[in-house]
Amino acid sequence: MRRWAAAVARSWVAMEDFEAFLDGGGLVEADDDMPDPYRQAVFAFIEMHANSELMGGLTERDWIPKTPGLRHKMAVLAKTQDEIGHGHLLYMVAADLGVKTRTEMLEDLFGGRSRFHNVFHYRAVTWGDQVAIAFLVDAAALISQQAVFKDCSYGPYKRILRRIIAEEGFHMRLGEDRMMRIAEGTARQRRMFQESLDRWFWPALQLFGPDSKPDDPLLRWHIKSERNEVLRDRWVQKFVPMLQGYGFSVPAPDLRWDDETRRWDLGPIDWAPLQRTLAQGGPDSARRIGEAADNWQRTAWVRAALSKGGARSDSSTVADNSRVSANGGASASGGNGGG
Amino acid sequence: MDVYEVFVKKDGRDEFRHVGALEAATDELALVLAREGYVRRAEGDRLWVVRRDHVIVADDGFVAPNADKPHRHHDGAAVAARRRAAREAPE
Ligand SMILES: [Fe+2]
Ligand SMILES: [Fe+2]
Repeated sequence: MRRWAAAVARSWVAMEDFEAFLDGGGLVEADDDMPDPYRQAVFAFIEMHANSELMGGLTERDWIPKTPGLRHKMAVLAKTQDEIGHGHLLYMVAADLGVKTRTEMLEDLFGGRSRFHNVFHYRAVTWGDQVAIAFLVDAAALISQQAVFKDCSYGPYKRILRRIIAEEGFHMRLGEDRMMRIAEGTARQRRMFQESLDRWFWPALQLFGPDSKPDDPLLRWHIKSERNEVLRDRWVQKFVPMLQGYGFSVPAPDLRWDDETRRWDLGPIDWAPLQRTLAQGGPDSARRIGEAADNWQRTAWVRAALSKGGARSDSSTVADNSRVSANGGASASGGNGGG
Repeated sequence: MDVYEVFVKKDGRDEFRHVGALEAATDELALVLAREGYVRRAEGDRLWVVRRDHVIVADDGFVAPNADKPHRHHDGAAVAARRRAAREAPE
């Protein structure tokens, strides 16, 4: 008899045995034994996903006051809450792998030492950008997450992805709804969205990354189920005709319809912008990371209120916000970095 | 901070299902965070949180002997063979 995580449930003599287990559809759980390279690879993948949700949620938040109309404002609020919620779920799953604590992951993110998706290294300039992100970027995220969910060998990640994917679906539909309204709007609105599309089409496409290497361990270990280029092409075949159908043009000079394969061909892709974002050298990287770090400081009082000293020990209603924050303020100097 | 495992159920349907985990300072805050993190769209009406360190886990091999108790199953092979023989016998 033991308590959770006190021992390992399974052990592997050789990597080949472990890989045969994965090939047979085996699921790995947090308290299972697993080869260290697998643990590190799964962790790095989930950490980057978690960071991306948090960075995306923060940008989304910036647009809440500027969102036109109460109905859309409420939808953007809900989307922001979803993205931050995804971050919470994923940081928990990542922390359970025992590589870094949540605090360490956040410190690395705010210190510019860890990665997040390329798209959040660019600045959203207009409302049209925000719509382009909700439509193109959330769709790209959805396509790649669906491919991970389909055959993911790490059980806790697979289960949490089911919920995240359902919510990304809401975001993509919200994005298309907003794009439709712009497409049906004035010439000036359509011009605004075309400019946004010119800015965001390529970053959104590059979210899938360059072609997968032939020996990509993420594919071998059933973390990803499809190659990057396959997922990217799925996005291109879906979104090129859709954008054109709404009366916008796709900003790819070499774009052509191949009559033989009956597919859209984008032509060569310049990967240099993606490489720059991976080194935190994107056009908006420094501001975004600085803003996320400042936000972490500004919200210290919330974490203090939610910590042991801040939370009330009596059992009266927890909805009494005034008391929760009053107590939190008193103990804020204690500084709970862990959140 | 303690880690809590979260379980959700639709009232009148299904069973409680494990949906994930979270970190909270108290039992009450665990429920609040579970509501905000796991049932934002009322995916379930009933909610349990259980402190992870309260979960009792069986040791490796504790259940294993029960995988080798064929007498607890019955495959009905002898009866099936007799039926098949009866079906295939000439009239
Ligand atoms: Fe998300
Ligand atoms: Fe999203």
